[in-house]
Amino acid sequence: MPKSKALKREKPKEKFSYDPQKVLRKLEEYGRNVLEAIKAGKNPYFDIPMRGLNNVYFDERSRLIKMGDKLSRRYFLNVAHARKFMQTLLIMAYVKRLVAEGKHASLREAYYANKHTIPGTKENTFEDQRESDPIIEDLERMLGVLREEMHITADRRGYIYGDIVIRDGEDEFNASKLGSGGWAVPGTVEHIQFPEINVDYALVVETAAMADRLIEEKFPKREKALIIATQGQASRGVRRLIHRLHYEEGLPIIVFTDGDPYGWYIYSTIKQGSINLAYLSDKLATPEARFVGMTMDDIKRYGLENVTEKLKGIPPNKKGGPTGDYKRILEEMEYPWFQNKEWQRQLKLALSWGVRIEQQALANKSLEFVAKEYLPEKINSGDLLP
Amino acid sequence: MAEASQLFKEFKVQSVSEFFRRNAAMLGYTGKVRSLTTVVHEAVTNSLDACEEAGIPPYIRVEIEELGKEHYKVVVEDNGPGIPEKYITHVFGKMLAGTKAHRNIQSRGQQGIGISGAVMFAQITSGKATRVITSTGDEIIEAWVKIDVDKNEGKIVKKEKHPNPDNWHGTRIELEVKNVKYIRSKQGVYWYLKLTAIANPHAHIELIEPDGRLIVFPRSSDEIPEPPVEMKPHPKGVLTDDVYRMAKKTKRTTVRRFLVGEFSRISDKKVDELVEYIAALRLIKTVEDKSVQEQLYERLMNGEVKAVLRSFKGYTKVVKQVEKIMEKPPEKLTWHEAEEIVEAFKYMKFLAPPTHGLRPIGEENIEKGLMGILKPEFVTAVTRPPKVYSGGIPFQVEVGLAYGGEIQGGFDLLRYANRVPLLFDAGSCVTTQAARSIDWKRYRIDDPDRTPLVLMVNVVSVHVPYTGTGKQSIASIDEIYNEIRLAIMDVARRLQTYLSGKHRRLYQVKRKKTFEKYVPEIARALSILTGEPEERIRKYFLQFIESHFASKELVSEGTAVEVVEDA
Repeated sequence: MPKSKALKREKPKEKFSYDPQKVLRKLEEYGRNVLEAIKAGKNPYFDIPMRGLNNVYFDERSRLIKMGDKLSRRYFLNVAHARKFMQTLLIMAYVKRLVAEGKHASLREAYYANKHTIPGTKENTFEDQRESDPIIEDLERMLGVLREEMHITADRRGYIYGDIVIRDGEDEFNASKLGSGGWAVPGTVEHIQFPEINVDYALVVETAAMADRLIEEKFPKREKALIIATQGQASRGVRRLIHRLHYEEGLPIIVFTDGDPYGWYIYSTIKQGSINLAYLSDKLATPEARFVGMTMDDIKRYGLENVTEKLKGIPPNKKGGPTGDYKRILEEMEYPWFQNKEWQRQLKLALSWGVRIEQQALANKSLEFVAKEYLPEKINSGDLLP
Repeated sequence: MAEASQLFKEFKVQSVSEFFRRNAAMLGYTGKVRSLTTVVHEAVTNSLDACEEAGIPPYIRVEIEELGKEHYKVVVEDNGPGIPEKYITHVFGKMLAGTKAHRNIQSRGQQGIGISGAVMFAQITSGKATRVITSTGDEIIEAWVKIDVDKNEGKIVKKEKHPNPDNWHGTRIELEVKNVKYIRSKQGVYWYLKLTAIANPHAHIELIEPDGRLIVFPRSSDEIPEPPVEMKPHPKGVLTDDVYRMAKKTKRTTVRRFLVGEFSRISDKKVDELVEYIAALRLIKTVEDKSVQEQLYERLMNGEVKAVLRSFKGYTKVVKQVEKIMEKPPEKLTWHEAEEIVEAFKYMKFLAPPTHGLRPIGEENIEKGLMGILKPEFVTAVTRPPKVYSGGIPFQVEVGLAYGGEIQGGFDLLRYANRVPLLFDAGSCVTTQAARSIDWKRYRIDDPDRTPLVLMVNVVSVHVPYTGTGKQSIASIDEIYNEIRLAIMDVARRLQTYLSGKHRRLYQVKRKKTFEKYVPEIARALSILTGEPEERIRKYFLQFIESHFASKELVSEGTAVEVVEDA
């Protein structure tokens, strides 16, 4: 059977942009501004974009969830602000040292590193990690840089497998030669580089079990694909990695999740970003990502009726409904990026059949089915959802 | 038979909702505006209590959504510890279960029957179950709770579990209620939350009004109050009946052990003293000359118990008799003996009642609360030492005063009982009477109705004496009235000094310090960021503060506010 490859690497749209100097420059610039203000006898302040739902919107043009332009101003000479003003500067100085020395710290380490008693008082600079975490988020928004770029690491989850060469600090290795477990994605991927890429596209897989299945079936080698296992909702590191692989390396991104509202939500976060991290959407989200499955149409097409599961919750037409999965689906139908015929159709089908379908349900055909037939067929024929 | 049981069932069904309807006033569900406020109150109270118990700074979000005419959805979400799955029905469904009223403990929940009342109210007005989403950090549990009027307990009609990858903890409840109305009046939810925020400066409270407007009452203190504990009665406040009843119930083996064990501030030594006082009182009563008797009473009051005893011949015999009382089993204590004990208490000196059971907001926190929410020019607060009123019930009065700044219009009195705002029946409340009795002219307030002045009064007690069933106004008891007056006069005097200029300068020094203390930290950080020498940066900042405070006698800060109340 002649294989027709529908997917190829495209031209990169962004360049490897990790530049510790950028963060350092910004920090210095903000520090200078404060200094200039105080020298001129003015009350120094920081302008920090506000967080929360009412400062978030969906940008139709870039197709990203973005942060609005509402700012809150944090003054030094204001009884209610002074403490936070001091804390902001403290963390800024800490980040500068981290980046300059090439070290990374966790959120908790950042908290302990900056906590001490203010001389001559009984007050601590930080009483609780709940005080330092928001300051770090404020800095992300204020400086427009990722926490990872400030060398403050996020939780890690997810791994990748495929024929690409990764340079991580002094180590260089091929991610298809690390055994069947692949390479665990670290909390920070800013500094990672890809000297060599021998795959045509990246396949993002929701469950580790499915990723392992594909690896065992030699799918990455045969299809020249890079497997990215998110293990549930994609972590910041994985989302950033997907974004970089697409924009810097030109890899098409294809997402493969369970056919249920949660799986589709995972897709939507990878594609459009999330409300919590709206201010980072243009660094974390990948609007060009496409969706291979599971879809409701798969059930009919591959005869999977017997291996579906019932949706949880009360349907909209029943008393007390809609709740649970039903409610979630109805919410997803309202998402601006699901406003197209294909997705509306899938979501409506899910509602009317009241079922969900897991990736692993494909094992009902045979273990090899997903790797040898389902995915190659759908991907190569371009049978993908936007 | 079947008919009979059916009838009985209907009777019971009716009785619970009947009970609710009949006691609506007591439970706070009268009137369209008030009912909504009560629903919010019950949920917010639960959230605050849960956070306090877990030592979490509360972050509470209240959302009122209009679904139709007089038909709303109330959403209250907190960042508390969450409710373990098996307790959900207990928390939201325990109808008419033992209230806290009998325990000697200070609680917010003295009003109504708690959150289960709100669940019941939602159920009988809209027919909908209450949706509860909660997590203790593991999986998220989503449950729909109803009250089973049949069994008088909570029932989960539906339950779902969700993964919780971010380890969220907290509780969100959604109630659908009808026959209520949202108005921005002084009896409504907005005003209630504003007052709650003032009295709970450790809490961050947000409100989304039906028109989508977001109002934020930010946290202004990092100190989380400790949860209250149960307290023993203080001898100065008990009545004969209390001692008599407690003696019958106690498990202690002697009267002495009973007194030491069940009352606060009574030690073994105090019981010895008590014996002498009782003996002395018995002897004084035998004196026939009235004027001599009066003198003896007076000396006893002055603590000269030993001298009084010695003035009688053969007093040791009487003392021995009294000592015997102390060694008998408490259940044998007679009414007369209890009376003697209580009478002797009146002459004796005791340490003030323990305060560990009372949880005042505290002067500093009241000031922070008033400052954070009202943004006045001047603020001060007084927390009076604890006192008791009849029945051995300790109470404590706190008064805060805020003046000028962003306060609009004339005099306002914010009333609280155990931090809970009282919004109704202001006229009959002892706090109103006490505030009115003050001669404000003496404190440089010529026309209180036209002065931007806010007074907050918080009465803290394990048992607040309310008037009527509404629990919205405090009874006029002399001891409480006097404490409130004293506290108001105290803060009023401070306002007077402030207004006359002296305090103003002191106040500025204090404020200046709050900025100056951060300067070394800021200088070090800025020096790292910019490379400029630390010492020089420090000088810039100190100069800046100095000139700022020198240039204006009265500082009005930058115009921008961190929290934006946008429409």
